[in-house]
Amino acid sequence: MRFAAGVDVGSTQTKAVIMEDNGGGGPRLVARALVDTGAHVQKAAEHGFLAACREAGIPAQEVGFVVGTGYGRYKITFGNAQMTEITCHARGAAFLCPGTRTVIDMGGQDSKAISIGAQGEVLDFVMNDKCAAGTGRFLENAADVMGISLDEVGPLSLQGKQPVKITTVCTVFVESDILSYLAQGKKPEDILNGVHLAIARRTVSLARRVPIEPQIALTGGVARNIGMVRALEQVLGANLQVSAEAHFTGAIGAALFALEKMDQSFESAIWRPAHA
Amino acid sequence: MQCAESERTFDKYAEIAQDLSLAEVRRWKSEHPGAKAIGYFPVYAPMEIIQACGMLPVGLNGAGDRLDIQYADARFGSFICSIVKTTLEMAMTGHLEPLDGLLFSTICDSARNLCYVLKRNFPHMYLDFLHLPHNPGSPAAVEFLRGEYARLQQQLEELGGCSATPEGLRHAIALYNQNRALLRQLYALRAAAPHLLRTWELYTLMRAGNFVPVETHNQWLREALEELPARTGKPRDSIRVVIEGSFCEQPPLDLIKLMEEAGCYVVDDDFILGRRWFTEDVPLDGEPLTALAESYLNRAVYSSVRHDFRNPRHKALVEKTRRLNGQAVILLIAKFCEPAYFDYVLFKRELEAAGIPHLLLEFEEKAFTFERLRSEVETFVESLLFD
Repeated sequence: MRFAAGVDVGSTQTKAVIMEDNGGGGPRLVARALVDTGAHVQKAAEHGFLAACREAGIPAQEVGFVVGTGYGRYKITFGNAQMTEITCHARGAAFLCPGTRTVIDMGGQDSKAISIGAQGEVLDFVMNDKCAAGTGRFLENAADVMGISLDEVGPLSLQGKQPVKITTVCTVFVESDILSYLAQGKKPEDILNGVHLAIARRTVSLARRVPIEPQIALTGGVARNIGMVRALEQVLGANLQVSAEAHFTGAIGAALFALEKMDQSFESAIWRPAHA
Repeated sequence: MQCAESERTFDKYAEIAQDLSLAEVRRWKSEHPGAKAIGYFPVYAPMEIIQACGMLPVGLNGAGDRLDIQYADARFGSFICSIVKTTLEMAMTGHLEPLDGLLFSTICDSARNLCYVLKRNFPHMYLDFLHLPHNPGSPAAVEFLRGEYARLQQQLEELGGCSATPEGLRHAIALYNQNRALLRQLYALRAAAPHLLRTWELYTLMRAGNFVPVETHNQWLREALEELPARTGKPRDSIRVVIEGSFCEQPPLDLIKLMEEAGCYVVDDDFILGRRWFTEDVPLDGEPLTALAESYLNRAVYSSVRHDFRNPRHKALVEKTRRLNGQAVILLIAKFCEPAYFDYVLFKRELEAAGIPHLLLEFEEKAFTFERLRSEVETFVESLLFD
């Protein structure tokens, strides 16, 4: 039995998975763990990895190779290699949703669109700029202002029949838009519907910088939000593939690379010096 | 030269290259009482004419993240690039005090207006604007540019109370010919063995030359050429990239380092392009100003600020990338840089037709965190290495 791990240290949450490849049937997802990243990035990576090992019922030493990804990838001191979350999301999406040609990854602080080939290789990609417009953070702010939990915003937004217009995609200024609509007596579901559509439009306009080819997969933590899935489908005019493991796509891609690298010599890939 | 000693030398160049106090210029002036120093804004300036007038040409490359903007934002719109703002800020905060004059040329609207904004704020400073010809194919271009150079020479002579002789001009041309030839050799060395000369080292060595006499810089370049081949180092798995687009505003040093850390061997770049403006020596026979003007039109590198329809720059970029066995091109463009972004479309189309992968990266000289750019470069490298 050969185990490999992928640890995706995101800005908001750290995702860790254990995968195995027993020779027949291809790689298999064995365990997953999710922890909040918080301020101690290194610790979060360790906790996530160990939690995934516990879930798999194996000691950490059984894991032959660990690939770190996400913004905190260089803080994974126990990892064997690092790769970017874009490369890993592409690979993970091709594994979870075979036939994917476009990946839209919506994370806590950034979003990306990736054009991928048949094997999950990155052909082109685009990232959002510095601000958090079009990301999970935008939704969190909206939920905070409206006094509801993040898990509720998606389902509630689907009940909206007359979405309000959101004039800003600024994560900070959206608060005042929402407060104005609340003061006007607009229904929370209509406000949330408008918020989701605003983010969807912003994200799709980013994605249009790479060729949007079907199938399109949505990955990242925001993929758990059904309201966001529907809003993106409405703006795109196309169906989205959303795996039940979409939140773990980056970690799964990293683990798939880790499984491959177990067979390669240490010098055969780029090993970047740990920095920062 | 031992490796550690060599590292220390390049650290010294990095310090000089990024020194906002212009300490090297101050030192030169204290050693040459009464002599003038003339700053020039990128991209190209005829340094030979300044040199022949007994003055020190000083290349300006912005202030990076080492100066907080307090005045320039009140004088320029938010859509103006960083180098224009930091240059104005340097002037407003006294950082350009060692300079006796500033020279600008026709590269873009922002640079043109910087010259005139400075004129309003410093009415007594010598500020000159050089009109470089836009149509190098025109038969009148040499005569026109020679006229501009003669006017510049006269202005400098009046400022300095000196006169530049044809012999002095030829001597200056010879010195800068050497300087450019040495830089060409260093660029060739890096393209052949990028593991022996890192890009940040070549860059700081070149940029440090903006603040010292050309004779000193030539000496530094010769020392580097003698010592670098003795270095030992093992090539890494990296992709060979050509960097294009940073001919005016310069990327932060940490960003240049990051690109190599991320797995790029830079085989050519257009950093501080004015120092490598000519592809071959400026002729020493004949009338010197005519030789300089004729060389600007017929012996210059391709550039987004020099429109030469006889040698289209998009073709030249592809040709250069292939000649240097480049695997990809990184278009490293300063935010709000109009000439570079206008050419982006041209370059992108040509690179795609030639099947050369490319990546657009936008930077600002005043930026100091690069995690997003790191992810973009690393992904690009990964997409090529794991093809």
